[in-house]
Amino acid sequence: MTCTRAADTAPALPGKATHWWAASRLVVAAAVLAAIALPAVVDAYTVSIANTALVMAVLTISTHLLANVAGLPSLGQAAYLGVGAYTAALLGAASLTAGPLLLVAAAAAGAVASALTAPLLLRTRGTAFLMTTFAVAELARTTASLWADVTGGDDGRHAAPVALWSGGPLLAADGHVYLYLLSVFLLLAVAMAVLLRSRLADMVRGFADHEPRLQGLGYRSGGILLAWLTIAGAVAGLAGGMLAAAHQYVSPADLSLDVSALALLAAAIGIGSMRGAVAGAVLVVAVRDLVGVHTAGHALALLGLTFLAVAYQQPLRARLHTIRSRR
Amino acid sequence: MTYAVTALDGLAFGLLLFTVAAGLSLIFGVLDILNLAHGSLYLAGAYCAYLFSDGSLAGLAAALAVGGLAGAAAGIVLAAVTRPLTRYGHLAHALATLGIAFLAADAFTTVFGGAPLPADPPDALAGSVRLGVHGYPVYRLAFIAVAAVIAIAVHLIITRTRAGALVRATVNDPAMAAATGVPTGLVQTAAVAGGAVLAVTGGVLGAPLLGPAPGVDTTVLVLSLIVVVIGGAGSIPGTLAGALLVGQVQTLGALAAPTTAPFTLCAVLLLVLTLRPRQAVRPI
Repeated sequence: MTCTRAADTAPALPGKATHWWAASRLVVAAAVLAAIALPAVVDAYTVSIANTALVMAVLTISTHLLANVAGLPSLGQAAYLGVGAYTAALLGAASLTAGPLLLVAAAAAGAVASALTAPLLLRTRGTAFLMTTFAVAELARTTASLWADVTGGDDGRHAAPVALWSGGPLLAADGHVYLYLLSVFLLLAVAMAVLLRSRLADMVRGFADHEPRLQGLGYRSGGILLAWLTIAGAVAGLAGGMLAAAHQYVSPADLSLDVSALALLAAAIGIGSMRGAVAGAVLVVAVRDLVGVHTAGHALALLGLTFLAVAYQQPLRARLHTIRSRR
Repeated sequence: MTYAVTALDGLAFGLLLFTVAAGLSLIFGVLDILNLAHGSLYLAGAYCAYLFSDGSLAGLAAALAVGGLAGAAAGIVLAAVTRPLTRYGHLAHALATLGIAFLAADAFTTVFGGAPLPADPPDALAGSVRLGVHGYPVYRLAFIAVAAVIAIAVHLIITRTRAGALVRATVNDPAMAAATGVPTGLVQTAAVAGGAVLAVTGGVLGAPLLGPAPGVDTTVLVLSLIVVVIGGAGSIPGTLAGALLVGQVQTLGALAAPTTAPFTLCAVLLLVLTLRPRQAVRPI
């Protein structure tokens, strides 16, 4: 899998590329403005779906860091989302109301969980990595379902509404929660844009493309990939904290294969770029929650077709390219 | 004695997992594809058992025949669907097989509804026999016998026959195998079809143990994956050992310590991952 993509690094090419870069910036600016204006123009139901889309976008960024940047396709990021979500819900139940503090705690919990499992997951690559992340995540889901004292079992756990600061007014209306989550998402997006231009990210991309060669040059992948998995776990944990604030409810279903799979699908829709991954997350939630309700309960089939379409996008593009170059 | 009977249950469950996971392992070994639609194949077999179960052995035989043909067809389709993705990595394969699993789940729910359905064993195998002071279902004993035969047959086919040699050659070095005249494409398709038939057969025979219901596909997929991860992907004897271990952990664990049983499986998996040398792939 090629992991270095133009969209993650600012192209400094003259002419056409500069136009493209300016146009894509305009699209992002328009999308951000539309996202800010959203609660003023749509109904409460759509706003609640937009909240879900923001959570999915953050989980997708976590999956993007692994699948597209590190070349480690993970089917288990929902496990760290779950760790973050339950952490926020438990702290909320202990009367901690400051939302940002809960998010930091959720991200920290996700990071710790990821750092603990990373040495095991990193013994594998490729399909074996996919398999192992999936197995570990499913065990996390089973644990959430059976550890009823802490997680509330299959009934799930209520998460208290949050405030911006300790003792402040609670964010009750869906619109307010949405703007709060949107701010968190935008801050994270900026942080990730910086991270993806860092030396650490370059090293990770290097290991994804030429691990044996870099090891031959004396670089050790272990510590760098461990750090990368920990960061991805923190982002997934943050998504969990956002989920607890958005839905005010956490259950083992939030850790299921479907959630991880949708994040992987969204990351793949992005064809390697972070903004594409975010757009993919919005698309996936829209297909499932907006379009799906109009297809008489066949949202699952619609998603299945989306999965296949995304899987075939690369071969189809290659085929189109061959046909064009023959002419 | 209770433990011995439960261990027998664990053996049956382990062999059921082996039948499904061996197919998963075979497909993984030959094509380097993680078939995330493998649970759907089991579920197809289980629904087949429900459709044909009329209390007679002929019904079971019909279910096996129809299920086997459907499984072979599904395997050929799966091989054809995934072939164009070969150059595009693990992610494309995962997405394609997940897409198929989602479509299959939707189709099953549309046709069979959202409730669990009964799949009773044939009348000839319906009763129970006495094992000491306990009664034990005849069907489970028959299942253990049949599944053991399947396990031995799979092992012998892979290690002793020409077909098995072709599969092993294709797994170890597809380019070299192709250069020496092995029709690798055909071998791969046949191996995927064989893996799919194993999963569907597991579904038909296992339906009275783990019956058709929405969500069973994911359960079976997860347990088979854990078996393959524990046993070492691509290794049939490893898969058998992993399946028997998971079967015992699930049943004996549930009896000995009901509250901690799920954590036991978790602990076993983590232990295996910790102790095993890097990279889980071993040749068949």
